[in-house]
Amino acid sequence: MKILVCIKQVPDMESRFRPNASGTWFEESDLAFRMNEYDEYAVEQAVQLKEQLAGEPEVTVLSIGPDRVNEALKKALAMGCDRGVHIQDPAPQDKDPWQIASIIAQFAQGEGFDLVFTGMQSQDRGSAQVGVLVAELLGYACATTLVGFSFSDGLVTARRELEGGIKGVVKLGLPAVVTCQLGLNTPRYPTLPNIMKAKKKDVLTIPVADLLHEEAVAATARFYPPEKKGGGIVLEGDVGNLVEQLYGILKEKTTVLR
Amino acid sequence: MFLDLTEEQKLIQDTAQEFARAELEPVAAQLDQGDDRGPMLANLKKLAELGFMGLNVKDAYGGSEAGVVAFSVAMTEIARACASTAVTVSVNNMVCEVIQAVGSEEQKKAYIPKICSGEYAAGSFALTETGAGSDPAGMTTTAALDGDQWVLNGAKLFITSAPYAGVFVVWAVTDREAPKGKGISCFLVEAGTPGLIIGKEEGKMGQHASATNEVIFDKCRIPKGALMGKLNDGFRIAVAELGGGRIGIGSLGLGVGLAAMDYATRYATERSQFGQKISDFQAIQWKIADSYTELEAARLLLMNAAFRKEQGKPFAKEASMAKMYATEAANRACYHAVQMLGGYGYTQDYPVERYARDARITSIYEGTNEIQRVIVSREILKNFSS
Ligand SMILES: Cc1cc2nc3c(=O)[nH]c(=O)nc-3n(C[C@H](O)[C@H](O)[C@H](O)COP(=O)(O)OP(=O)(O)OC[C@H]3O[C@@H](n4cnc5c(N)ncnc54)[C@H](O)[C@@H]3O)c2cc1C
Repeated sequence: MKILVCIKQVPDMESRFRPNASGTWFEESDLAFRMNEYDEYAVEQAVQLKEQLAGEPEVTVLSIGPDRVNEALKKALAMGCDRGVHIQDPAPQDKDPWQIASIIAQFAQGEGFDLVFTGMQSQDRGSAQVGVLVAELLGYACATTLVGFSFSDGLVTARRELEGGIKGVVKLGLPAVVTCQLGLNTPRYPTLPNIMKAKKKDVLTIPVADLLHEEAVAATARFYPPEKKGGGIVLEGDVGNLVEQLYGILKEKTTVLR
Repeated sequence: MFLDLTEEQKLIQDTAQEFARAELEPVAAQLDQGDDRGPMLANLKKLAELGFMGLNVKDAYGGSEAGVVAFSVAMTEIARACASTAVTVSVNNMVCEVIQAVGSEEQKKAYIPKICSGEYAAGSFALTETGAGSDPAGMTTTAALDGDQWVLNGAKLFITSAPYAGVFVVWAVTDREAPKGKGISCFLVEAGTPGLIIGKEEGKMGQHASATNEVIFDKCRIPKGALMGKLNDGFRIAVAELGGGRIGIGSLGLGVGLAAMDYATRYATERSQFGQKISDFQAIQWKIADSYTELEAARLLLMNAAFRKEQGKPFAKEASMAKMYATEAANRACYHAVQMLGGYGYTQDYPVERYARDARITSIYEGTNEIQRVIVSREILKNFSS
């Protein structure tokens, strides 16, 4: 079995974000980057499947971006992926999800991957499109927003998170793409010996121009912080009165009491 | 000149940081206040499984082969969350390294993997005695050969991790007639050996979850093969290994100082007095500027010492400079952090009170900062005297 995991490197979400000079993305220079959290679930699930199948599957991990994404690739390799693919792109943020998916599909075409894991979305752009577009471009079956995964007799059983807390279960034949939601599993910490040994695993580098043949279909017009909210509501009065006011607000403006 | 961490070092730093935030930070205050050390021992086991007990130890003995720079950044991240856990990890690494440096192949195989894997929660480094602190060569614990056994008699004081250590590296006088420091040898003593008695635990100002105990040797018999390194070469071994340990303690201090300043700085941007954020007052801004500058200088000194050790260059002076400067910068940062929180900083509802107590010991153990200055000035004066 051949498995592909697609990962993105994103800024630490506790950072302070400022628009960049062109006003279409955030300024990256002062930020610390790490693996997109959703992608950690994807890596973990792929590695768990490899372990379940006694190490038989070859797990390839792919990332598009500048040199810094090597750190995310190394982490995935230290977590148990077998080889890395770095698609070198100094400015992936200027490409839309369609282009990113087309680059991945172009690489995957002919590689014969049986199963592709991606995160449900990225923590920075949050489009949630790349996984499904890759599936469409490759003609693979697809299930999104996985909170449960199992594999037996050549079939994937995926538990999906639907709206309003409802879950759905689907079965997929291979080849397939699945996108992973928070809580699918508990990603392992890479052990230090494995971090050191990941140095020896192969990372193939491909210039993005070799794989990109699509025009963008969406463009980011403007990146800006949300308007500052007002000071909130300060309730006044005695305790009984405060409770009544709060109860009224909760009842009218929220779903807490419904 | 290249001042960046390698990809591997960054990943180790990230792993330490993530682990510290998720597992250590949530229990740190509870460990400080309570008597139950269980959560720390559980975390030590997990840290061992991740490879944090033998960062600069060979793969063949269960180590991570990650080097000294990685050790330093890992210690800092762990200490940001929990100084008690950090000191235990630091001492465990030092114990592994001393055995790796001077132990026989048999000794290395017998003990290092047990510390690295977490089978032993800890190892202890037993040098200090009541009468021999800054002056360890003045020790009086003795070891005498009786047939094919050594018999240890005496007592060690302030021994980190003693109640849960699996093995003790112990220094004892083997030649009373020899000139000072030339008649001391180093031994490996397993926990549970008859005559090895774990004495009273000290009640301390900080780092409460890390036990500090007296360790008594009462006709404690150990095999002849428990001698580590050459006979009467023990004092030199202790001096050499403490250099590496100082990088660990300096890095620990840095972590506590950074935690304190990060907390206090965030607080200053939220707390208002006189109708403005207190971070708008220049008095607060200067504390922030001074503290972060000193902590950054400390970091660079530590990186330099760690890098020199990793490169196999002499590093004793640099390690002493870094330990002394970093731990004092950390104490100043904690002092300012408490001040920046005002009365709240003095209460146990805010973590800076704990940071200030935890940081205090770092200028004392692993050689007081006065002794670090003795070492630094001696190294410098060597080049000036005729
Ligand atoms: C929490 C804790 C954990 C510890 N863990 C360990 C451990 O695991 N293993 C271990 O072996 N030890 C350990 N120690 C012992 C520690 O290393 C010693 O306390 C330290 O080296 C100082 O020795 P002392 O306490 O006897 O102080 P002293 O040596 O009595 O020093 C008292 C004061 O005199 C100063 N002084 C002494 N000599 C000189 C000099 N020549 N010039 C200038 N000033 C001088 C000192 O700097 C200090 O200010 C620990 C101590 C503590 C408190």
